[in-house]
Parts: sequence; structure tokens; C-alpha cells
Amino acid sequence: MPLKFHYKQLPNGLDIVAEENADSHSFAAGLFVKTGSRDEDAPINGVSHFLEHMMFKGSDKYTWEDVNRIFDELGARYNAFTSQEMTAYYANVLPEFTERTIEHLAHLLRPSLRQSDFDTEKKVILEEIAMYLDDPGHRVYEKLMDVHFGNHPLSMSILGAAESIQKLKRDQMAEYFTRRYGPGNMVMAVTGRLDFDEIVKLAEKYMGSWPRVDAPRHQPEPMYKPQQIAMTDPKLNRMYTMGMTPGPSAQDDRRFAARVLADVIGDSDGSRFYWALVDNAIAEDADFGFYPHDACGSFYISLTTDPDRTQEALDIALKELNKAKNDLNEDEVERAKNKIASSLVLQGEVPLGRMRSIGGQWIYNKEYRSLEMDMETLMKVNRQSLQQLMRDYPFDPMTIVSLGPGEAKE
Amino acid sequence: MGERYFQHTFDNGLTLLAEKMPGMQSAAMTLLLPAGSSTDPVDRLGSATVLSDLVLRGAGSRDSRQLTDYLDGLGLQRSSSVGIHHSRFSCAALSEKVMQGVPVYADIVRRAHLPQPGFDAARNLALQALAGIDDEPRQKLLIKLREWHFPSPFGRSSMGKKDNLEKLTLELCKADYGRRYHARDAILAIAGNIDFETVKADVAKQFGDWNGSAATPLEIMPPPGNFHHEDQKSEQTHIGLAYESIQETDPDYYVLRLALEVLSGGMSGRLFTEIREKRALVYNVWAGYSSLKGYGSVLGYAGTSNDRAQATLDCFISELHRFTEGVSADELERAKTGLKASTIMQGESTSARAGAIAHDFFMRGRIRTLDEIKHEIDAVSLERVNAYLKQHKPGPFTIVTVGPKELKLPS
Repeated sequence: MPLKFHYKQLPNGLDIVAEENADSHSFAAGLFVKTGSRDEDAPINGVSHFLEHMMFKGSDKYTWEDVNRIFDELGARYNAFTSQEMTAYYANVLPEFTERTIEHLAHLLRPSLRQSDFDTEKKVILEEIAMYLDDPGHRVYEKLMDVHFGNHPLSMSILGAAESIQKLKRDQMAEYFTRRYGPGNMVMAVTGRLDFDEIVKLAEKYMGSWPRVDAPRHQPEPMYKPQQIAMTDPKLNRMYTMGMTPGPSAQDDRRFAARVLADVIGDSDGSRFYWALVDNAIAEDADFGFYPHDACGSFYISLTTDPDRTQEALDIALKELNKAKNDLNEDEVERAKNKIASSLVLQGEVPLGRMRSIGGQWIYNKEYRSLEMDMETLMKVNRQSLQQLMRDYPFDPMTIVSLGPGEAKE
Repeated sequence: MGERYFQHTFDNGLTLLAEKMPGMQSAAMTLLLPAGSSTDPVDRLGSATVLSDLVLRGAGSRDSRQLTDYLDGLGLQRSSSVGIHHSRFSCAALSEKVMQGVPVYADIVRRAHLPQPGFDAARNLALQALAGIDDEPRQKLLIKLREWHFPSPFGRSSMGKKDNLEKLTLELCKADYGRRYHARDAILAIAGNIDFETVKADVAKQFGDWNGSAATPLEIMPPPGNFHHEDQKSEQTHIGLAYESIQETDPDYYVLRLALEVLSGGMSGRLFTEIREKRALVYNVWAGYSSLKGYGSVLGYAGTSNDRAQATLDCFISELHRFTEGVSADELERAKTGLKASTIMQGESTSARAGAIAHDFFMRGRIRTLDEIKHEIDAVSLERVNAYLKQHKPGPFTIVTVGPKELKLPS
């Protein structure tokens, strides 16, 4: 696969990163902004995600109907997402629509934020919040982030609470937008079949006049402490438990080892958690994973169990974590690496997957990593690096949150 | 069949399909066995699901752990699932690793150990999954919608029933393994940068002497009724809608698919425009085609706050009725562009292609090329779409709701 990397910064500070693949059938483009719920103050919590919706409501030139219609005229697979740390807007199209796609993404990121659209979309956001309240896994995750990070900005909810969304004003959103959505705080990532000189010209044409922003991010040191919180909801049948403990950040070289460790301990199949908890049906699901964040990171446990077996499952999970510090073997590390290597190859064959990967990577590190570099780094991970990682991050302190029916049900 | 697509049916009834995708490093395999929930014995619903877990717990010369370790060592990205018609085993990785995995899959479907402790655990996990359905009302709605819409046994959930699962034994599972895991009507599809003759020789060696037996005919029963409400104290009311439509093999299939793109294809689709963008009644609303062998249907979903559920249902139905007035030239053009683009982009993923050629063969007895699909889409005219919509009025509807309050149904 002849993948070729290109980089250019426009005079206004807009970064453009490209990975060209002449074998691709399609072209993917995404605009990634380094802003998310962690950059919000409490009174405007949820604004990054709400803004993601508002971007589709039109620019000075287009109405919301135009925005949706044009994306569909391009036959695009398009979407957007908001995390604690970034928001991204992207489209995957056939190469003949390259210019129209870049032009359209440019309109998306210069929204008019009309009051009437804001009022209508607020109701949709409230429906989205209600939808997630019907998802116990999501409720546990929100609570876990809230208590684990405490006063740290990562504790902020992505969706925000219904009450804060109700109160949010259009002008507060506009002010937040002006402050954070511009070159200097964003990158355009393009992948697949493309001509880089053309991409640069198009970016200049449609985004070259955007003003640069200076959007710093607060990086206070997280203050972790062990804590355990039990939430009850009598209408539930099952128990949903999550635990979170510090891990390496998205900038840390140890993140590759962390990903391997997550697979060794908690992959859905063939991991230590699988054999200790799922193979014998003590838990229906038992995952251990790694969330790299900006300047800090987390490992997490996630368990779904019968209410009367939750404590047993949690004890086993914690015991397995401690056991791994002492008896890790070379074979399981190699197997986990092979699984990750396969997923990298599969992702590399699809432009959309690579675009999301290199865009996200740039937001965190201002660095391009080819598939080969990732593969090479991955292959250097070994038992010793995992052991060192567990000395550096000994799964302590741990925050645990559970949600279930309370008294065990029949 | 050209240099890209290959098809061969062995004497025992197993069909091998392949798509050669030069330039790919990966390959993907999909194995479909005629052991779907529709062939679960009537008093043992959920048994295909238990079996699809149990067969992975040791096979051939490897015990459960050795088997998993070996497949993990190859780096295979694996999944298994049970649908209406089939039990499905899939994997993807570097192409040579997938080919090394094929003999293990032969062990799994031919020489599984089926151990007692494995059975106990597999059944227990199936019961746990079943208990979780009430916790996720959206998932529950989609299960109930199928149950109330399709004739039995095609509306069954693969998750089964509690009392059936409780009565299931290892002996019954063993007999079931012999009855439903066989070569007749099995489909093995591989897509990637592979050499077909080599693959064929490998597969012949692993599966050539596998027995086949004829399928037992199914007893078809009408669904329990058209309207159903499940009382649940959920945050939102979850609304499901369905009506019968043409089959996937019908000459008008792409006429219908394009019409459905207009209804719910992208963000300019009518449901999204009218129900979400204009009225802000929902976050999630969609309608799409559901293809079973012998049955084509349109299924739809909307989730909304309880006090706005009636308005959402009414609006959904009125959009479906408006459908008979036809679509515009612009709408059809966008639908075509979208459907063609997604067809072409499917050609970038070995997993998507392996799944698609297996599905094609099951539905039509042959693989369709991506070009053929593009031509079929291009051939659909506005007149045909509008004539079709005039003749095929949506309905009668099956309507299922999950939420705290029953809704008023349309007359």
C-alpha cells in the first residue's frame, strides 16, 4: 500500500495533514477542533456538543436544509462527534467530489447560529440527553468521569445536564465559538485518493481567511482518591459497574504498552478477564480498557453482572489486575500485539478510519504517525515494558461506580 | 465469472465464494451455517445462541483455551452471532493468517468438544443477556417489533426465552449440533488478496468430506397481532413501525431501496427533515429495509419524550402516507448518488465484501458484482419510482411501543 504523508500550514495557522493512498476508491476529509467539554465552564456545560449540532444549521450562505441536501448530493458518509477533548466534522466521498466536500466542510465550521435554529435544536439535544438516560451503561460512565476527575475539567459531561442546556443562551455559544474554533486550534486531515497541491489550494480558497485563535487549555494536575459510589434504580434488572484508575496520557510513549496491556487483561475474547469472569459466566461482560486523554489518562474496568454476583466479580477483577503485575507471560503479550496489528491493517485499508486516526493524533501531539511507525512501536512492546507500566501505574487509586436495582431481584 | 468473483459448490452442498481484491493486505472470512433462530426447536428458543458459544469452547485437538489462544495468536479479529436464518462466524486479519484460521473453523463446526462446564456457562450467559433486555428499552423495542411483525418463526429473537433456556440440556445441544451444523446449505465466503484455486483446495481438504443433510421444512404461523404496547417506566417512549414490502429478489427491489433512501437515507431524508429538523420531536428516527428470505419489510424507529410520543407517531405515519404522492427528481438523484457511493466504498473493506457476497448467494444463489449493482441503481427512473409508490401504499402497519403510556393508534 503506497501511503504518502504531506503536511502544510496555511499563513493563518491552519494545519493540513494528508495521507495519500492511490489504491483507495474514496476520499475522506475531517476538520478537528481541539475543544470539548473539558474546555467548558459549568454554566455553559454541553456547549461543544450543542455547537456540533448547530454547525449543521447553516452558514451565511446556506440554510440547514441546504447543508443536509448538499451532503446527500455528494453521496457522502458524513458525521461529527464531540468528546471531552475534541470535536470533529468529517465526510467520506468519491474522489470527484473533493472540492465540493472541502467547500462544504468549510461552511459547516462557519455557522450563523441563528436564534430560531438554536431554539429548535435545543429540543433535539434534550431528546438526546433523555435517550442516554435509558442506557444504564452511559449513566455509569457519566457518573464515573464526574467523581473520578472531581474538580478536574475532564469531569465535565459531554452532553451536559438538561438544566444547563435549558438555560444556555445563543450568545454564550457564539462567544465560545469565537474563542476556540479557528486555525491555531484545529487541523484538517485528509486521506485516501487525493492530490495534495489541490487540497492546499482548496483549503486556502475556502478557509484561508479564517482568523487565528489562541485557545489555551487548562491542565491542572488531577487529584485522585479512592472512592466507591453505588447508585440504585429499582427498574433495572442487572448491575453495571465501572472502575477507573490513572494511566498514561495520549502524549506518553507508554500509551502503546497501555493498549497492549488493556488487550491482555480485558479484551472481549481470550483475555485474563475473559477467562476469570466471562468464560465461567460470573459476569456477562468484563472489559478492561485504556482511555488516553490530553496530559493524563485512565484505565477502566467495566462489568455487567447479576446483582448478587457483583461483589464477587469486582473482587476477581481487582485480583486479576494485581496478579498481572507478577505473572505476565510473553505469549499473551505477543497474542495481544498480533490482534492490535490486525486491527491497524484493517483500519489502514479504509480512508475514513485513517482520517480519524491521523486527525486525532494531530490534535494531541501535532505529530503524524504512519501505519508502519505504529506497527514498529507496537512490535517493540514486550513483557518488560508492560511490567514497568504497571509499576508506574499500579491501578491505585481506583474510583468505582455501580448502578443496579439495589436489593437483589428474583 | 471473471477474475474477481468465484463460486463453487461442493458435492456435500457447501458453497465456497470468493472475491479477489488486489491491493489489500487483509482478508476476511464469513461462514454461514443454516442454524439460525428460525430453526430453533419450538420449545428450545435460544438454543442456536447457546450452541454458537459452546462450539468455541474447544474443538479438534485444542481445548477451549488452546483454541482461543491459537486464533488470537494469528491476530484474527473475530465475531460470531446468530441471526434469523444463520449462525455466523466471521474473522479478518492479514490474508495468510485468515487462511491459517480456516482449519480451526472446520474443527469448530465439525469437531467441537461440547463440554458440560462450557454448556453450563454458555446457557448462563444467554440467560444473563436475556435479563438485560428490560434495562435497554430501545433494544427491547426492536426485538418486540420483529416478534409482532414477522410470521413465526421469522420474528424470533435469537436470545430465546427464559423457560426454554432453563430446560435446555447438553444432550439436547449435542443432538442439535449434529442436526444443524452440516455442509448442506452452508456458505463460506472469503474476500481479500487471495488465490482462488489455493483457497478452494484448502477448503476442499477441510470441509470436502463433511456430511450434509436436508433441511427440515419450517412451520409458518402468523404473528400475534398488529399492535402491542410494553409498559415500562422509561425516560423516552420508543416507537417501532413496520409494514410488509417486496422481497429483495423482486425486480423492483432497487426502486424500493431508492424510495427508502428518500425517506430516510441521509440528513436530507424526509423523516429526519420533518420529525427532527423541523419539529425537533426526536434525536433518533429512521426507517429501512429488512430482508429475510421470503419476506421483505420496512421497519422504522423513533425515540421521543413521553409527552411528545403521540405527535411523533402521528407525524411518522403521515410521512409514510405522503410517500404515495411520489418523490421529486432531485430527491431521487441524491438517493442514487448516496446508494452508489456506499456500494463503491464497500469495495474498500474485505469484511464488508465477505459478508455481502455470502448474503447475495443466500438470497439469489449467486454473487452480484459491484458494477451490476451500480447499473441496477442507474436503471431506476423517476417514473418507475413514482408508479411503484402509487401502487404500493405503505401498510397495514405493525406498531409496537415501549414506554410509560399507551398511544392512540391510527384508524
